[in-house]
Amino acid sequence: MIIREKDFFHRIIHNMDYCLIFAVMILLVIGFTAIYSSASNCIMTSFKYISVQFTALGLGFIAFIMLASFNYQYYEHTYKFIYTLSIILLSSVLIFGSVKRGTKGWFDFGFIAFQPVEIAKIMFILVLASILNRKKVKKGLFLIHIFLAFFGHLLFIMLQPDFSSTLSYFPITLVLLFVSGIDLFYLFCVIILCFFAMSIPLVKIFLLQMEFLQNSVFIANFIVSLKNSLTMIYIIVIIILFIMSCWWFLQKLRIKISIIYPLILCISILLGCMASVFIEKSLKDYQKKRLIVFLNPKIDPKSSGYNITQSKIAIGSGKLFGKGFKNGTQTQLGFLPEQHTDFIFSVIGEEGGWIMSQLTLIFYWIFIWRSLIISKEARDKYGSFVALGLASMFTFYAVINIGMVMGIMPVTGIPLPFLSYGGSSIFSSLCAIGILCSISIRKHTYY
Amino acid sequence: MVWQKDDKSAYEVFIKKYNIVFLFFLFLFICLSLRLFYLQIIVGSKYRKISEQQRLYNTCERAPRGIIYSADNVVLVENRLDYTALFYRLGREEILLSSNLKELSKILGKDIKLIKNNKSNKVVKLVNNLTIYDMFKIQEKKQNLKYINIVGETHRTYYYPEALCHITGYVGEVGTNELLTPNKYKIGDRVGRGGIEQFYDKYLKGQDGGWQIEVNARGYYIRAFKYIHPKIGANIYTTIDLKLQIEAYNLLKNTVTGKGAVVVIDVRTGAIKALVSCPGFNANNISKNFDEYLKDKKLPLFNRALQALYPPGSIFKIVTLTAALEILNTDHKRTMNCTGSFKLGNRYYSCWCKSGHGDVNLISAMAQSCNIYFYHLGLKIGVKNLKEYAKKFYFGRETHIDLPNEKKGFIPDRKWKEQKMKTPWRQGDTVIFSIGQGALWTTPLQMAYMMSVVANKGKEYNRPYIVEKIKNFDGKEIYKHKKSIGDIIKLSSNTWNVLHEALLEVVENGTGKRSKISDIKIAGKTGTAQNPHGEGHAWFVSYAPADVPEIAMAVIVENGGSGGSSAAPIGKKIYETYFNMKLENKDKNR
Repeated sequence: MIIREKDFFHRIIHNMDYCLIFAVMILLVIGFTAIYSSASNCIMTSFKYISVQFTALGLGFIAFIMLASFNYQYYEHTYKFIYTLSIILLSSVLIFGSVKRGTKGWFDFGFIAFQPVEIAKIMFILVLASILNRKKVKKGLFLIHIFLAFFGHLLFIMLQPDFSSTLSYFPITLVLLFVSGIDLFYLFCVIILCFFAMSIPLVKIFLLQMEFLQNSVFIANFIVSLKNSLTMIYIIVIIILFIMSCWWFLQKLRIKISIIYPLILCISILLGCMASVFIEKSLKDYQKKRLIVFLNPKIDPKSSGYNITQSKIAIGSGKLFGKGFKNGTQTQLGFLPEQHTDFIFSVIGEEGGWIMSQLTLIFYWIFIWRSLIISKEARDKYGSFVALGLASMFTFYAVINIGMVMGIMPVTGIPLPFLSYGGSSIFSSLCAIGILCSISIRKHTYY
Repeated sequence: MVWQKDDKSAYEVFIKKYNIVFLFFLFLFICLSLRLFYLQIIVGSKYRKISEQQRLYNTCERAPRGIIYSADNVVLVENRLDYTALFYRLGREEILLSSNLKELSKILGKDIKLIKNNKSNKVVKLVNNLTIYDMFKIQEKKQNLKYINIVGETHRTYYYPEALCHITGYVGEVGTNELLTPNKYKIGDRVGRGGIEQFYDKYLKGQDGGWQIEVNARGYYIRAFKYIHPKIGANIYTTIDLKLQIEAYNLLKNTVTGKGAVVVIDVRTGAIKALVSCPGFNANNISKNFDEYLKDKKLPLFNRALQALYPPGSIFKIVTLTAALEILNTDHKRTMNCTGSFKLGNRYYSCWCKSGHGDVNLISAMAQSCNIYFYHLGLKIGVKNLKEYAKKFYFGRETHIDLPNEKKGFIPDRKWKEQKMKTPWRQGDTVIFSIGQGALWTTPLQMAYMMSVVANKGKEYNRPYIVEKIKNFDGKEIYKHKKSIGDIIKLSSNTWNVLHEALLEVVENGTGKRSKISDIKIAGKTGTAQNPHGEGHAWFVSYAPADVPEIAMAVIVENGGSGGSSAAPIGKKIYETYFNMKLENKDKNR
């Protein structure tokens, strides 16, 4: 027993992925500096931000140590319990949570507020990985399992409503499904479904918001009737009938098409329309505007397009060497909104120049690369899947956030892990690192 | 139980997919890097510029324009300072301002309110045209008036608004067209219009100063960087003889029509001593009366001395005479009988003296301005040679004086007539050409300059000029007119002698008798330009003293009738003024 204890610590020290830890620490340092600088025009808030960040970091570190020493393989068998826990978390926040920025997604403990969605995402990855690992059972059944898990989370998050947090579920699910060697046909169905679910509401919002379209009488009438949900149902029924009758005719002409194709098409259209109703209710007006502004930022340069424009100016004006720590004019004079949270990268870009921001990107890539390596070297399939899911989550966050800041992605309220201000974000990111380390430490154990 | 070994086939499938995911993530990061590189390195300068523009705001303090002096250093144009109370809306609470406004109203004894015109407008004008006393009163109570700034604003003052208006020009607010040229003007800038104000605008205007201020996203004041003192524009020293100029203007104003022009040139240098166009306008309040001036039928805004085109009439005989002496070698003593009319084909061309001049030679023909004699000469010389000589004597050519919008004039020829009138050039056209009628157009400045060339026996200066030198605020000379000799009209000395004799004779015994003054010999020529719309224009061109010429002059009285009766007396009075002044100066020096 004593030998095993010794062995355990020995293993931890030997197999710890120091490269990953180092990259994360550098990112944290960059993030702290940027937050300090961006909030420095008011000393009190600056210290408040930093102290909150430190508290979260401390809590996160404890969680990290615990999760790293805990064997990740236990999660695989307790996935039902984990999923239940996550649902409890998500539902209790709807009851006991407090409202911040229009979203009922926070547990407020006075000195620190916690967002359970961040943890729920990691739990979802654990659950998804274990479902995928057990897929031999029956062919179609595991897909249904996945979608139940998937939509369960989505439903609760949409009820908050927190549209931007749901976005990260799609790429994680897609990447894991792809890697698990699923039949490309199923993946294709999933993509189509996601596509419909996303595009139908988007198109609808777009049509409703574009005022110039309403100049045309015909389109205006059409849009007005679209707003009436009864017309909507008629249209859907007509489309579905049309698809089915096409399939029936083709069948008569002795062209054999499996019934599954038209069925999936119909279901995805139905789901898309349902999602559209749902999303339209959950999306705030400013969020709808953001989506449109991404498609054409010139529509509204003063309010919704303002963020993108100013953050592009901030990053661009940094040039090669930047304007210097606490000297960024965009940051210090308040041209950048949300500078310490979602737009933290533009603070780095402005004050540190291309050198610092490129360095940040490189360290981010080193971090992603290490997590991918962990996924490759994990001792079982489950570990590989979990690590890959976490890696794809971080990649998605980074790409969406940095892309948004540079004007190549729509404005969504997604933070940049390790860099943005936000206690829950830091805490949950460190939990994820803990799990990654737990996988990494156990890669060579043969029992 | 390591799946890399135990479940090899599954692991291989996994690795295949895994590699694709790996490459895809790498690709995403490379995209981000490229975008970052594009934003910061390739178009970084553009964004840096925008960010600077966003945070910097310049308050503008206009620089006073330079002063314009006459030849004897009398101030012609100056700046009058008056003060404006301003409020910079840079995040200061407007509630604080209201107590300030009350205080200000108390001092000035009138009610002052903040006019909220536009939110984005950062400067709010409170009171205009404060006197210097008000300014001091406000400065004394600066403690209570923290948010009110007093800014000096200059206004152009013209001391001789009418007589000199065409030389100095005036100052107006910059127009929308000029604002389109980038980085040159700001809204509200003042630019010179006409005269020296326009021609030497870049010297006169100076550089605006002001505070460079950093503002935040809401447009609130954060800190001031630096104050740039406005740089006063350079002073201009002209060659204008103020007395002569005012005398000439008054003389023209008192003529029958009150319209005309006088140009006086210093023969020895080419400097313009007086350049008058009558009627003038009041340069001090032009902006108020601009529309009125535009509607005025007397065209006060029009600088007749350089922009009005008149037919030269008999003064063109100087050219005809010179051409005849040079080309035809005419004996100036040979006489011809003038009967009062001249028949060419089936048309009669008459002399202005219906009864005829009797026997005239070249000199007496010039003195009496006998048309018949010159018809004959003109026919012999031909159009082509006449045009060539006219061109030598500044017809149809710019003098390149340093004033804007000079007109070139026009000399007709065969080609022009065929193209324009669709009829061939006839002998009759040559006939009237030789006495300066027809489509021949010239400006008073050209004629004065021609006389200065004649007085110098063909020696030309590079151009007539009005600005001697320009000194900047520190007294450093930044511009000086360079005198140099331009083309020389090469004629035989006999020609010059005969021409001078003829011009002297004009004043002594001929049509220009009324300009004669004792002691000083004047050489001149009168002219009456026929005008289809009414009375002819009266010309008198001359130089004096005839032996050692000092000044040359051209006088034109629009619709003044004959040159001898209305233009020559003006010439006389100007000469009197000039030579009296010279005597006075001599006395003073003694």
